[in-house]
Amino acid sequence: MIFEKRTERIFLATFFIIALCIPLFLESNSFFVGKATTILILAIFVMSLDFLVGRVGLVTLGHALFYGLGGYLFVILTPEYEAVNFWIYAIYVMCVSAFVALVVGVVVLRTSGIYFIMITLAISQMVYYFFFDSLHFGGGDGLFIFIKPDTSIFGLSFLNLDNPTHFYYLALLGVLITLLTIKIVLRSRFGRIVEASRLNPARTEALGYNIFSFKLISYVIGSTLAAYAGLLFALQYGYVNPQFMTWEMSGTALVMSILGGMGTIYGAILGTITYEGLQYFFEHMSKDWMLFMGGSIILMVLLLRKGLAGYLEKLLEK
Amino acid sequence: MANKIILETESLSKHWGGIKALDDISLQFHDKQLHGVVGPNGAGKSTLLNMLCGALKPSSGCIFHNGEQIEGMKPWNFVRRGIGRSFQKTNIYADITCLENCAVAAQRRFTGSFNLFASRHSNKMVTEAAEKALYQVGLGNRISSIAAEISYGEQRQLELAMVLATDPCILLLDEPMAGMGHEESLRIIELLNELKKSYSIVLVEHDMDAIFELSDQLTVLDNGTHLITGTVDEVRNEPRVKEAYLGKEEEEETA
Amino acid sequence: MSAELFFVQLVNGIQYGLLLFLIASGLTLIFGVMGILNLAHGSMYMVGAYLVWYFAAVTGSFTAAAALSAVIALGLGILIERLLIQRLYNRNHLDQVLLTIGMIFVFNALQSILWGNDPHGVSVPDALSGSIPFTDNSSYPIYRIFAALVCIGIAAALYFVVSKTRLGMLIRAGESNREMVEALGVNIKNLYTIVFAIGVMLAAISGIIAAPIRSIVPGMGESVLITCFVVVVIGGMGSIKGAFVGALLVGVISTFAAVLIPSMSNMIIYIFMILVLLVKPQGLFSK
Repeated sequence: MIFEKRTERIFLATFFIIALCIPLFLESNSFFVGKATTILILAIFVMSLDFLVGRVGLVTLGHALFYGLGGYLFVILTPEYEAVNFWIYAIYVMCVSAFVALVVGVVVLRTSGIYFIMITLAISQMVYYFFFDSLHFGGGDGLFIFIKPDTSIFGLSFLNLDNPTHFYYLALLGVLITLLTIKIVLRSRFGRIVEASRLNPARTEALGYNIFSFKLISYVIGSTLAAYAGLLFALQYGYVNPQFMTWEMSGTALVMSILGGMGTIYGAILGTITYEGLQYFFEHMSKDWMLFMGGSIILMVLLLRKGLAGYLEKLLEK
Repeated sequence: MANKIILETESLSKHWGGIKALDDISLQFHDKQLHGVVGPNGAGKSTLLNMLCGALKPSSGCIFHNGEQIEGMKPWNFVRRGIGRSFQKTNIYADITCLENCAVAAQRRFTGSFNLFASRHSNKMVTEAAEKALYQVGLGNRISSIAAEISYGEQRQLELAMVLATDPCILLLDEPMAGMGHEESLRIIELLNELKKSYSIVLVEHDMDAIFELSDQLTVLDNGTHLITGTVDEVRNEPRVKEAYLGKEEEEETA
Repeated sequence: MSAELFFVQLVNGIQYGLLLFLIASGLTLIFGVMGILNLAHGSMYMVGAYLVWYFAAVTGSFTAAAALSAVIALGLGILIERLLIQRLYNRNHLDQVLLTIGMIFVFNALQSILWGNDPHGVSVPDALSGSIPFTDNSSYPIYRIFAALVCIGIAAALYFVVSKTRLGMLIRAGESNREMVEALGVNIKNLYTIVFAIGVMLAAISGIIAAPIRSIVPGMGESVLITCFVVVVIGGMGSIKGAFVGALLVGVISTFAAVLIPSMSNMIIYIFMILVLLVKPQGLFSK
């Protein structure tokens, strides 16, 4: 069983049942379907971060670099004014992102601890300014996607990306695939060494493992999943700009993942929904929503030490 | 000394700035023997072990394993050559089960540590090797206990089991009996007596009775230098040892 | 580039670097002594700038406003440390990141509620408003020179405190060994409060000094925060000397980059930082 904890199984079952049904209730309201889609896409991004920070032990503050990269790569790789095949180009984008992550990983994994936080931040800022100052890639305005790709497989088409409900299900599929990918990797023999390296790096090296390669591969996996999330986000809104890769984006994702319960993976989904829900609520309550948002974050750090997932587990386990 | 030399150091030295932690040490470790290393605190015993297992690079000198020069290799290659090492301070994975602790150690011997898909439990050979190591040290009843929750003595045994699970030919043991009660120590002595029939062991230990009982060869280090290597009796009868080592011991006791 | 322009840019760069040092020194001090990574440090810079703008408008005197703002910042530092930071000493960096991100939200909201989102400016005090001519057709504003001198003065005072006083001795000891400080019978809680409050005040003073030179806008804290991260990482986290060298390097490099290669000027300090970390993964003055 990939999902070891009872709480995890209950939460995920509930989540997927509700998520599958949501468009049935909101069919008439494409705004909410769009909002829900965005939350799902963010959940993919936050899960990939939760994997890196909570399970591999790589506290990155530059994860949004790959989120933005996914969007940019898609626009850059596709020919303009031509409907490309979504699946093929998604694979292209992820391959290129994986390669970039490999190169970045070799550089950032030379450092550790607080320096790792800082160097990931610096590299993502560097790339942010690269796109921001570039005339070629649209500068601060970014790039636009004029034609949505088609999603047929062997000529059979199930999804029309112009339809918000179809796009929603594509994002939900993304959540499922990401969740399974991360869980399978964590359960694997590779995952055993990754876990060991996080718990006690010195001992793992003394047992004969070169932990650098395990971290590097994990970094590539996490970054590639983030790029997939960024690609979906760019497709949903039809553009990509440097705002995708600000450090605030990385920071917010980190907040969502800690809020949900670091390292629990399913907690990332919970954290994303809660954060987005709170923000939506406060935004409608007051124009000074940031005050309440900030206050809630502070309270949650002080009161919920293991995040929402930790709280749920207290309620549901044993 | 009919057994062949398996591990050898030649003029091994380690300097920290101006301080010589270990100076010009040339030792030979034989197959299927227990080689004790003793000396007062700060004599350089741990430094020696750290260099023998590749964790520390020597400032000068060489290490040979089966005649091959290895001191420049990465630490993980030492393990792959069969040089296993236990730690003085218990160094285990506290949050996972004893079986998983040993499985991490054992898995490297079998292919597939870069297999991203196969479940970690799917390779029976890893599990069996891990279980075997636990039974070997007498932790057969602790297989599914969380490592942090077993007693201190048992954690020391687990430490040893993890080294055994890497399937080494040389065991570098750093005070395996540190902090143990009398009965637990006896169990470890019994175990080491058993192990030295099939492994070459380098044992650093403070417990004198134990080391006199176990050692085939005994090396005394003092203040980073090599004082003497010989059989237990040779070392016992060496006046310099009494003076440098036992003399200090008495001083420490009176102090 | 003419020698004259070069000289003006160099002075600009140094002056910017000194300003960065004031903020970065607080950041590195708090991290070095307390092990706290304060992401809300940039907000303190913003608070200083807004406070001096507000009080200058109310009192009509820049000097009075500056003094008042610095004192308020010190009080704010004590308050934050006692109410929030103190609860985090035994937590990991992640919780600190989360809490201080929450604080950024709160400070940005307060700024918007209290002072609105329009850009503001503070006029240079009359006594410092002129320029010093240094060639026939160029001159340098007196206030900028004054600002640089104030920063040098504070840096010297900081150096004196850290290397020569009892407080400084405790700070240096606290960096290396927490237990030792406690064994000396020092109340470590009070030491931490003092260090945090001083750090906050240094950032606020930097905001006060910068107010007449730079525009006072929402979000000014975050952009300066990231630059200061670069500074302390280049210098070595926790090292005040490193922060000084790092700040001057970043100040000068980014000033020249803006003139020489404008299309890459924003990227250049990050590239520089990555290069430094590749050579010295712990920064230039790591311990």
